[in-house]
Amino acid sequence: MVRTQIIDRLRDIMARTATTEHDWSRIGEGDTIASLGIDSLSMLDFVYDIQQEFGIQFEAHELVAVTTVGQLATFIGERTTA
Amino acid sequence: MKRLQHLLEYAAVRALLLLVDLLPVRVAVTLAHGIGDLAWLTMRRRRRIAVDNLIRSGIAPDARAARRLSRVAFRHFVRVVVTSIKSDAHWRRHPWQECVEWCVPEEVAALLDDPQQGVILASGHLGSWEVGAQVLSHRKPILGITRRMNNPYVDRLMLRRKPRHRFELTPKRDADLGRLVGALGAGKALAIMIDTHARDRGMVVDFFGRPASSHTAIALLHLVTKKPIVFGWCCEVAPMRFRFYATGPFRFAPTGNKQRDVRTILEQLNRELEAAVRSCPEQYMWGHRRWRVPTDEAPKQP
Repeated sequence: MVRTQIIDRLRDIMARTATTEHDWSRIGEGDTIASLGIDSLSMLDFVYDIQQEFGIQFEAHELVAVTTVGQLATFIGERTTA
Repeated sequence: MKRLQHLLEYAAVRALLLLVDLLPVRVAVTLAHGIGDLAWLTMRRRRRIAVDNLIRSGIAPDARAARRLSRVAFRHFVRVVVTSIKSDAHWRRHPWQECVEWCVPEEVAALLDDPQQGVILASGHLGSWEVGAQVLSHRKPILGITRRMNNPYVDRLMLRRKPRHRFELTPKRDADLGRLVGALGAGKALAIMIDTHARDRGMVVDFFGRPASSHTAIALLHLVTKKPIVFGWCCEVAPMRFRFYATGPFRFAPTGNKQRDVRTILEQLNRELEAAVRSCPEQYMWGHRRWRVPTDEAPKQP
């Protein structure tokens, strides 16, 4: 899966789980996940959706170091091609 | 004005703590019963909620029985606080191992005694939940999530006073995913009370046949971390004598239907809590507003 496809799908997931409204089409690699209205409860929803949508399994603590949308796309990309 | 009120409440709590610390267990428990009776007589709204909950849940057959049980439950609530305060001093003279009987399935016992294994511990405001966490922390370190109290002085005092041995607390608002997942990864038990009203961020599931909004976090945490869920509670069977019960472990595989997965887990846990409450109804905190979703207005959820 190419990087732009991953980010498009992440935008869809974030739009479903975030607690604040954004123009999701403008969200890019440099945006931080914390700034997008994803609190700790939404984060659990978010992780569930990522695991199911991309069909990947990972330990939730591996995501703790991931802070931006770009880092998250890299994280997912590495696992979908693994 | 608010600050003055908080300081007065803080002074009262400090005085009560000092008194309970100084009194022998038997006298402290008698005092707890007296305070419980006083609260039952004066806190009319809470009493009405408790009586109503007892009748609607079917635990009490009539209003008379509900009033009697609610009074016992009020006494028990104060007793929970007092026994929690007295436990350390008591266990210096009577080792805690002699005061606690474990009624735990072998598989759960193995999880609790495995220092590498993180466990999600579900419980409710049943029995002696504070003492339960204290005794369990001798087998496995525990991280409990707590709600901030309205009074910041009392809140700070409780955060200093409650943690014991390997039992630590984190305020709900500081409970970020990293901390929770980190605790599970470090082999701790993450203790979550499942019977608090979740407002609009919960999922409505039945509890005693009535719709109640339940927090989804415990279910999602299980689904994303795959750590087993254990349901546990601790009943006081005699003064400073306890029996720790557990059921499980429960494991659920994600199916891709998040709503259904979360519902399955929450329904299972609420059933466990309901069965536990039925086994010792006089030790449940009936005075809290668990059922705030009107039966005829309960939203239809998948």
